Amino acid sequence: MACALRPTLLRQALAAPSKRAFSSAVPAFRSQRQSVKPSWSSQRAAFQTSARRPILPPLPQVIHGSVNDPVKTPEPHPSHGSYHWTAERLVSAALLPITIMPFAVGSLNPVLDGTFIGLIIIHTYIGFQSCITDYIPTWRMPTVRKLFDWANVLAVFVVGWGYYEFETNDVGLTEAVKRVWRAGSNAKEVADKAS
Amino acid sequence: MVRTARLSGLQRDVLALYRKCLRAARAKPADTRPNFEAFARREFEKNIDRDKKDFQTIEFLLRKGERQLETYEAPNITNIAG
Amino acid sequence: MALRLASRRFAPQVFRRGMATTIEHTKEPIAATAEATSASRPPIPANKTSTEHEPKKDENSRIKTFNIYRWNPDEPASKPKMQSYTLDLNKTGPMMLDALIRIKNEVDPTLTFRRSCREGICGSCAMNIDGRIPTDTAKDSKIYPLPHTYVVKDLVPDLTQFYKQYKSIKPYLQRDTPSPDGKENLQSKEDRRKLDGLYECILCACCSTSCPSYWWNSEEYLGPAVLMQSYRWIADSRDEKTAQRKDQLNNSMSLYRCHTILNCSRTCPKGLNPALAIAEIKKSMAFA
Repeated sequence: MACALRPTLLRQALAAPSKRAFSSAVPAFRSQRQSVKPSWSSQRAAFQTSARRPILPPLPQVIHGSVNDPVKTPEPHPSHGSYHWTAERLVSAALLPITIMPFAVGSLNPVLDGTFIGLIIIHTYIGFQSCITDYIPTWRMPTVRKLFDWANVLAVFVVGWGYYEFETNDVGLTEAVKRVWRAGSNAKEVADKAS
Repeated sequence: MVRTARLSGLQRDVLALYRKCLRAARAKPADTRPNFEAFARREFEKNIDRDKKDFQTIEFLLRKGERQLETYEAPNITNIAG
Repeated sequence: MALRLASRRFAPQVFRRGMATTIEHTKEPIAATAEATSASRPPIPANKTSTEHEPKKDENSRIKTFNIYRWNPDEPASKPKMQSYTLDLNKTGPMMLDALIRIKNEVDPTLTFRRSCREGICGSCAMNIDGRIPTDTAKDSKIYPLPHTYVVKDLVPDLTQFYKQYKSIKPYLQRDTPSPDGKENLQSKEDRRKLDGLYECILCACCSTSCPSYWWNSEEYLGPAVLMQSYRWIADSRDEKTAQRKDQLNNSMSLYRCHTILNCSRTCPKGLNPALAIAEIKKSMAFA
């Protein structure tokens, strides 16, 4: 690949030494020698001179419609907009007391545990969904976006099933946190017993 | 007509822009139309030596061409230095 | 090409030197370029080049280096580069823009940037500078165009998308009912006070181009500047299309890509708070 492109690179390097802010022909050799490295670096070199491959390189500028047209206004979707935002805040706010409650009260209520887990799952789902919406634009990569959205939904079920197993066959979330918290507090006794 | 090589997306974009230019020239008055066509041709020939792998540059030139076309296809422009 | 090769082979030594300077345009192997690197004359030693009466350097001069982003669209195949200019700060105004205007006037007229009022009203000269007043001479000042914009030339960014987005929020008074007295739409002092901190925006695009969310999603996300102007009309007591204005923002992209990063409020040259305006829109849409 690199070999096949070398003539082009050489031509570019020779055609404009000043492009690279070099004044004489000598550095052109240097850049030529460097260009044996992966070919994209000089083909699509950004302002950075480091060898960096962007995951989503910026596309050429596209202006839809004439310069004087406003951008298109999307259809209102309250379930993706205001309702979504409100639900997101409510879940986050509800998580705070419910995180502290079992430890403050000191009781192990399976219903409380279940609610806690449910809210955690919803909270994580919304968080990951937000990342996906930010970094995988539908207009640019519709298939990848769909894939990630479904992977996110799948993760909800897998994690939910995992929690279910943990709750029914093991000690449950609150008790587990409690034990991890206290792990090591009796280390001395254990060590004494062992010796 | 035999097409020797399949054109890349970018090459097709360039041809599409040229076609758009010629189409825009058709809307101009008949006596100055050759001037517009010659102008479009000259603008493209200026960059005929561009390395076809230099995508960034070609994309920039396409963008610039689109903007120029937008300017010159306005109906109040009736002649151009051909 | 053939002609040039021939001349290279048969021309006398003197001409061959001359030909070697054309390497910029040839596609020849490296061996051909080696000629250019050997100078025809040895360089003059430094002690012979000094002039007799060198002007004395000012003791109090504060020389500062400005590194400025340069890119020329007339050479589209070239890459952008940084160019350094040095100025004596004692002879330059206090603003970065003074330094730029002085560079353009006295050093390099090809340097391109937008400027008009130079008093923070028109919003033309927005660019990416580090620091406000360049008095620290030890440090170089770097000047770039606004981040994540398409560059037209040097420090001039293309703000077409920004203006198109501004147009999409309909930044004008929309009323169906005529004004009560048929002349003016009056407003109480309290209602007018709601617009303070919103109407002063000069649309310089500093906040929008400093917003990471806007960097990634400028196609769909409106950005802080435009959203603040949107709120300026939502908050206006005389406007009668508030519901439509809110509906327009009610989707996953236009408004809710704001993750309260707050770069917008930090960067605003007028000291406004776009983040607060966006939060107000979100609040009014959540419990309405």
